[in-house]
Amino acid sequence: MKPTGILFFPAFDWAISPTHPEREERLLYTRDQIFEEGIMDLLQIREYQPGLATAKDIARVHFCVPDVEAQITEAHLVSAGSALRIADAYMEGEIKNGFAIIRPPGHHSKTVSHGNRGFCNINNEAIMIEYLRQKYGIKRVAIVDTDVHHGDGTQEIYYNDPDVLFISFHQDGRTLYPGSGHMDELGGPLAYGTTINLPLAPRTTDTGILYALEKLIMPILEEFKPELIVNSAGQDNHYSDPLADMRFSAQGYARLNEILAPDIAVLEGGYSVQTALPYVNMGLIMAMAGIDYSNLREPDYVPERMRENPANLEYIDKMVKRQLQVFRQREEQIEKNRKTRERFHHVHKQIFYDTDYIHEEQSIQLRLCPDCPGFRLIESTAQHRNGYYYRVYCVSIPANACASCQSEARSCYTDMSGNDRYDLVYLQDRVNNDFRSIDIKKDVEMVL
Amino acid sequence: MLIGIDVGGTYTDGVVFDRGEVIATTKVPTDDNDIKSTVLQVLDKLLLKQDKSDITRIVLSTTVVTNLLATGKGERTALLLIPGYGLPADAYDISDDTFFLKGGIDFRGRELDPLDEKELIQIGDNIVAAGIKRAAIISKFGNRNDNLEKQASHYMAQHYPQLSVTTGSQISGKLNFPRRATTAYYTAITSKEWNRFVDEIDQALTERGLDCEVHILKADGGTLALDVSRDMPCETVFSGPAASTMGAMALAGEGMNSVVLDIGGTTTDIALLIEGEPLYASKGASINQRYTHINAFAVRSIALGGDSCITVNAGQVEVQAYRRDVAACFGGSSATVTDAFNYKFNLNIGNPELSAAALEQIGGSAMSTEEVGAAVVAIVTNRLQDVITSMFKEWENEPAYKVWEVINKRKFTLEQITGIGAASRAIIPELADAMQVKHFIHQYADVANALGAAVARPTLAVNLHVDTQTKIYTLDPGGVRGTLENPHNFQLKDAREMARKHLEQVGKERGMASYTNESSFFMEEQFNMIGGWDQTGKLFDVGIQVTPGFIEEFKGVKI
Repeated sequence: MKPTGILFFPAFDWAISPTHPEREERLLYTRDQIFEEGIMDLLQIREYQPGLATAKDIARVHFCVPDVEAQITEAHLVSAGSALRIADAYMEGEIKNGFAIIRPPGHHSKTVSHGNRGFCNINNEAIMIEYLRQKYGIKRVAIVDTDVHHGDGTQEIYYNDPDVLFISFHQDGRTLYPGSGHMDELGGPLAYGTTINLPLAPRTTDTGILYALEKLIMPILEEFKPELIVNSAGQDNHYSDPLADMRFSAQGYARLNEILAPDIAVLEGGYSVQTALPYVNMGLIMAMAGIDYSNLREPDYVPERMRENPANLEYIDKMVKRQLQVFRQREEQIEKNRKTRERFHHVHKQIFYDTDYIHEEQSIQLRLCPDCPGFRLIESTAQHRNGYYYRVYCVSIPANACASCQSEARSCYTDMSGNDRYDLVYLQDRVNNDFRSIDIKKDVEMVL
Repeated sequence: MLIGIDVGGTYTDGVVFDRGEVIATTKVPTDDNDIKSTVLQVLDKLLLKQDKSDITRIVLSTTVVTNLLATGKGERTALLLIPGYGLPADAYDISDDTFFLKGGIDFRGRELDPLDEKELIQIGDNIVAAGIKRAAIISKFGNRNDNLEKQASHYMAQHYPQLSVTTGSQISGKLNFPRRATTAYYTAITSKEWNRFVDEIDQALTERGLDCEVHILKADGGTLALDVSRDMPCETVFSGPAASTMGAMALAGEGMNSVVLDIGGTTTDIALLIEGEPLYASKGASINQRYTHINAFAVRSIALGGDSCITVNAGQVEVQAYRRDVAACFGGSSATVTDAFNYKFNLNIGNPELSAAALEQIGGSAMSTEEVGAAVVAIVTNRLQDVITSMFKEWENEPAYKVWEVINKRKFTLEQITGIGAASRAIIPELADAMQVKHFIHQYADVANALGAAVARPTLAVNLHVDTQTKIYTLDPGGVRGTLENPHNFQLKDAREMARKHLEQVGKERGMASYTNESSFFMEEQFNMIGGWDQTGKLFDVGIQVTPGFIEEFKGVKI
């Protein structure tokens, strides 16, 4: 039996600020717990060393403004690089599954990155998935976001990709950051139904979450048949989390991972550093490695206090039924969208970066292609913390783009490359693994 | 005048070393059933031409504990574990006599659950009824708070006075409960036998009128006064490879990246020196496939040596793990690895014609002598090269937990192969050629192990953990736990000072006070603890050590 790969990178020398939830101390007690348990010494576990992502790995997913270096620290390269390393170990068949216990996190980072949103600058899971698609040619991937906050960054990155299923359950956006993740966010016109959200009421317990897992998430996964299942593994549904208000336990997290059986789990949020994280991380490792976790629990855990409200179970059941129906009718809906829509689908967005206090304006055009998921043209403006006001133009060609979309998108890049309306014009061509940008004022093209 | 004695699996070597020169050497076959007599035999031979009053220091590297653990002949010991929540009970497969106690401690040293006295009575009765006279008690996070271990230990001592009890926190202060449990258990099962050995050596030295310092070599290449070793027998495991590595350091001198190959009759021990410093096993010494908290060099042993037998089956040349005899060139009965190298590179070892004849004989009609020789050389160099490369890789792939460690990751570039052991002269030059690095074999290479033991200095590592919120600190070795006097103003410099003082204190107790001023910090960590958005305290982890090195009077070896 192959071992479970663990990559533990607590970034003990990185913090957003000294008292921020994303601080050096965050995984300290997790370190103490997993080292004291000696779980890394077991034959069922193989520990991996962190890796380093390259600017190109990041540009495959993001348009970093003005460039990759401006949006990241070395810690981000190690965190993302560590996800790549555990993914390589999985794809090379060294491990049966893998868990990257890494920080900084990433699931709030969207395609365009002007700064830090929800503690994230770059999206570790998306960088990992696009790396795997490029390197190993895999196509269909499912991401299950088990963080208490809606994984809005990952959702946005894959909103128009019918080959990536994104499912997120989270505390209802009307009661928690980032405020999104509602039932009607179901994917773009040509990727309808492969984005599924389940906004749960505050104080939902193990029973409620596991119900949604078994009745909604597992059936969808079975029908979608992904080549890879990724758990975007936040740990802040825990009853002791200081930033959220759910009632999930370490046992619940272990059970969830046992049933979900992700190929790769990547740590996201979770800020109850002493009461939850040491036990939840142990639970995840044990469940993924097939070790009996019945003797694991938090010292202050009292099961009687965590009973599910029957009315809440009914509410969850209603959502489950509706989302299951949406998922099963997705292909019909996509066909309809293809026929009725215009040549381009236009969307206008305002995005707020809470950590860096940046307001971004975005105008997106998605090519509604009859043959592929289409390319995207994104115009984005934002004033950065340093006072600079950036206007950028981004061309994004997905890995599954058809030949005519590729050539049309590439000519959009060429056409805009002299347009002084913009500070920067970017090309993200995943088909040809070609990532470049032009600094209009300096008239310099940078190729990654 | 210094004496070093290294007990090996096949032979025991001894040297007398004085002012840069080896003035006497000896070698006798090891009697595994009576190591004491083997040691004394070597000692007596070395003393033949020396004035006993000139001997200032004797260092022994023995296999007493290694053999005890390998053969499972240690004293029957009850292992009492207090695991609390976490891994299931079946994760702890250390002793057949394992008992689980209720109780729990967390990572901050907070007591979660108390012991259950009724359970203690029941277990104590069972242990005594089974005729067991020794017990080891280990609690998860007992290194952060040893209260439960102490309570259980006191209870047992009070109710069962015939029982000798060891606790985990006395043995090690490092995280990793299974390794602490294993180390405490191995310490307990070897304690009686080791103390008997120490008594016998002590007595024999007195009988011989020897009144010098006597030390035991540890797995980390440092020494321990014979008397101090009584409490920590397990520290003496794997001292053979440690002796070789120290010997290689003593002979090679310079601080470069090198690999040390100790090629004996049937085994080769391989160690890495990184910028001149020996590499430690990152998970501690592994004994019977279990990791421990014993600091040991990262030594790989493979079943391949100068006397390894060569066979040819259906045109297939094989190098066997076993030995039949000495090499044919020394009058042995069959072809060995040494013979193949001797023939292939015209090394003129012993009688080279006998090497050629032995190779020709096993080649028979199927293979020419040249072909057999070339095949053996290829097998040996490839195997050694593979192990060396995988050791580099392992070192490069050690986990890292800080950004700067990942960014500044070093690559291992091999600069030299240092050969020691009897068979190294035949094999090392060719291996170094194949790996395109220089090699070094000192004239004393054959006795480097005993020489390494003779000149090694004592080592000591101290670990301190401080929690300014609970106001508790713990110090290792010794399992010291106390309350901070100034928790509010406690800073990293205070932690450093506290660790340094403990090092000096323990150094004094162990008779190595003159070395504690050569200590260096190997770990300094501090974390702010935040509650809400405010700082509620600090956590410190500080480590300070006297690293492996040489005694003051050692100023190098004359070439």
